[in-house]
Amino acid sequence: MSLAANGAHAVIRPAHAVEATAAPVAYVGIVTRAIAFAADAAVIHFVAITVAGTFALILSVLSPPNKFDEAILVVGSAAYGLWLVGYFVVFWSATGQTLGNRLLQIRVSRAVDGMVPSPSAALLRFGGLIVAALPLFAGFLPILLDDRRRGAHDVLAGTVVVSAPPAEITAVRS
Amino acid sequence: MGGSIAAAVVKPAVRGAGRAADAALEGLLDSRLAGDVVERLAASPLAARAACGALQGPLVEAVAADLVRYRVADRLLSEGLLEQTTARVLEGEEFENVVQAALESPTVERLIGSAIESRLLDQAVVRLLESDDLWLIVDEIASSPAVTAAIAQQSASFADQVAGGVRSRSLSADAWVEQRARKAFRRRPAPPPGPRAG
Repeated sequence: MSLAANGAHAVIRPAHAVEATAAPVAYVGIVTRAIAFAADAAVIHFVAITVAGTFALILSVLSPPNKFDEAILVVGSAAYGLWLVGYFVVFWSATGQTLGNRLLQIRVSRAVDGMVPSPSAALLRFGGLIVAALPLFAGFLPILLDDRRRGAHDVLAGTVVVSAPPAEITAVRS
Repeated sequence: MGGSIAAAVVKPAVRGAGRAADAALEGLLDSRLAGDVVERLAASPLAARAACGALQGPLVEAVAADLVRYRVADRLLSEGLLEQTTARVLEGEEFENVVQAALESPTVERLIGSAIESRLLDQAVVRLLESDDLWLIVDEIASSPAVTAAIAQQSASFADQVAGGVRSRSLSADAWVEQRARKAFRRRPAPPPGPRAG
């Protein structure tokens, strides 16, 4: 195992990374990715609703003045946005896998070398994901036509989504 | 003086006679004739009558009293004889053969069958189920790390199985959707998985 620094983001590069570039790579299609994303959405909203419900109960007991309502709404929205963005950015840049990805055994990796994307690339990918969804999900159409099954957000961030059986994940982490 | 001379002559003669008698007795005991005699005696009605008479008489009580008096049982136990004998019996082939024969015998089968069908067993089961100790044991076993680990493993493997099913179906759906889309857009079919580009 050796440390490979690429730009600002240093990742632990496994010894087999060079071999991985020659190994066949199975790019993952739109249905699998949609299921993984749905699983992620379920996790995100379950946590968000639980936390929001807890705070709502606390606030119902504390009964803050009405003038704080807007402030509470702004803080809540900001926390939700942070949680939403943080969830994807942290998981993609840490292991390349969100919980939904893990369930479906897929992984986001850099297109050039197969390593996990940097936090800035992960953030860019998330922004691209939002933008791709805006025009009636047209940004995801290239996944169906591209040879590497890349959506607009993948092209933007320089990533691909590949199949990642558990053995491979263990090897990447070690 | 005369007495010492007599002693000097007689004592060796007596010693020699004793040794000769010992040798003769040993020869007799080792002989085939002695074995035959003992065997015939043991098989004769005389021996049976003698044993019967001994058992009917006061001999048994006397032996029992002596066993208690001389603490024979305590001595045997303290010398570990009982443990050795038990170990020998348990490890020996004879015990296994006896148990095997007992298990295969129709009598034992019949006995076990009647024991299972008896009310006694039903009552025992009812009392066991009513006892708090049983549920304590069940709780203890249910919360043991081995059992919880086994349940967790089974749950995990079930979840893995479900996820595996979803994965395989979603991969098929990927290919199906992509094939239709490529056909609709008049694109060539997707290439098979190959080395990483870039």
